[in-house]
Amino acid sequence: MTYLLHLFILVGIYAILSMSLNLISGYTGLLSIAHAGFYGIGAYVAALMALHAHTNFLLNIACGIVAAGLLSLVVAVPSLRLRGDYFVIATFAFQIIAFSIMNNWVSVTAGPFGLPGIPRPEILGFTFVTHIHFLVLVGAFAVLALFFLNRIVHSPYGRVLRAIREDEVFTQSLGKNVTYFKISVFVTGAAIASIGGALYAHYITFIDPTSFTINESIFILAIVIIGGSGNLVGSIVGALVLVMVPEFFRFIGMPSAIAANMRQIFYGGLLVLFMMFMPEGFLGEYTFKKGER
Amino acid sequence: MLSQQLINGLISSAAICLVALGFALVYRVTGLFHIAHGALYVAGMYVTYACISIAGLALGFAIMVGVGITIALGLVFEIGVSRPLRRKKSSILVIFVASLGFYVVLQNVISLLFGNGTRSIRTWSIREGWEILGAHITPVQVIIIASAITLSIAVMIFQRWTKMGQGMRAVASDPELASISGLNVNNIILLTFVLGSALAGIAGIVVSLDADMTPTMGMRALLMGVVAVIVGGRNSIPGVALGALILGMTQHLGTWQISAKWQDAIVFVILLIFLLFRPQGFFGKKMRTVHV
Repeated sequence: MTYLLHLFILVGIYAILSMSLNLISGYTGLLSIAHAGFYGIGAYVAALMALHAHTNFLLNIACGIVAAGLLSLVVAVPSLRLRGDYFVIATFAFQIIAFSIMNNWVSVTAGPFGLPGIPRPEILGFTFVTHIHFLVLVGAFAVLALFFLNRIVHSPYGRVLRAIREDEVFTQSLGKNVTYFKISVFVTGAAIASIGGALYAHYITFIDPTSFTINESIFILAIVIIGGSGNLVGSIVGALVLVMVPEFFRFIGMPSAIAANMRQIFYGGLLVLFMMFMPEGFLGEYTFKKGER
Repeated sequence: MLSQQLINGLISSAAICLVALGFALVYRVTGLFHIAHGALYVAGMYVTYACISIAGLALGFAIMVGVGITIALGLVFEIGVSRPLRRKKSSILVIFVASLGFYVVLQNVISLLFGNGTRSIRTWSIREGWEILGAHITPVQVIIIASAITLSIAVMIFQRWTKMGQGMRAVASDPELASISGLNVNNIILLTFVLGSALAGIAGIVVSLDADMTPTMGMRALLMGVVAVIVGGRNSIPGVALGALILGMTQHLGTWQISAKWQDAIVFVILLIFLLFRPQGFFGKKMRTVHV
């Protein structure tokens, strides 16, 4: 039972991550493979604040948002002014280097040893301890993220995002500042991803760089694509399916080291199959048809 | 001390150049940001390792098997995934995502078979090597540098003067026009994947003669290659080699002054500088995308 609750908490965290990536990739058509980087930044900022400054959970989240937002500008501003693949390349570089810094800057991040003993979150005197508490907390943040993102995608701003996805040049010809829209949407998505990181750090109470690798980024992208690009509910369904189904490997008694690899082979294979036969995913509206070279 | 840093920089540059060559070839001809190249790079090493330590083959034969399997894996991607997607007129983004998935599968199969720990091909003892101006270099490191130079020149000659190479350049600039002119575009792309994968395999194997391997090391190596391609300009082989040289040298001369943990961050700074001021790279021509 506790294990099932644990899985639902993970689904909640991945729903936050994949909904925020959906805003960037599904709604605006910008494929990013740096999302685990921002997830990690949120987690490390929250953990370091809690461990060294003993600050409140909500303040940690806020600082994570600011840090991820500022660092996302470093990726977005140089690469989104340019056409073509530069954005994918910049997110790829950012992801690898974010991991490398988490892994090598031992004096601050403790490198591969990770940061143990992150305190349980506390809001207005109430401390979240049990799995049920956490499920409520993560669920509340996921609903908040869904509500916020839903407002964005159904606003005039959101319509411009979809217009950029379908035809960037045409959107520009209507007088929209396409670069501004792309940069702002990337920063927003990265900032929301950092919330997922802070929740993860305070929930597991231990973080190390292996949770924030490029494979994790690809996993989040797989949730977005398989759930459906350009559909927030699709991301929640995708998170549910991709977190729950691989547990089957553990369930049938596979050793956990093998199960971890099998889980990745499972979603990597799914990603290839979906691209070949169902690029719009389960509930999506977008198939990455924009061909840019 | 400085001469040792220069030699180390040269060795890193050669290793980067080897990864960049194959990646640049596929990238230029198909426009695909081929992430799975990083997994092919690792696959070559592990197959060679398995041939030597499990099957007990001689090094030279093991290398041939390693490169052969890497080519086969590249072909599995091209024939099984990328070609059907091209036939369906899928965008390059779709093929890119498929390449991401292929990378994840391949890397985890390697992890599953060999574990996540480090392995080494080396069965010989490490020699101190030769001394040049107070710096040491081992024979294996000379092989790395020599193969980077030889393969760069070979690829350049191939692209410029052979019929297939010219066909590749034609497909790179406009696949439709190339097809109308009677070129078999599918065959040319197939050959591109064969050569690209072979280069990935060779790169991995040559590097693994000198250093330990892990299943996940491909991504960092690929990043270095990609940045070298951006720095040099994607359409020029001398550009790629120069990009690799700049990158390898800055990394090592940088660590002479700053701590080694920032080595990767330096690469990111170089990428940002080029994206901001010269996105077409050193040898690239400024291009304007024209949409019709």
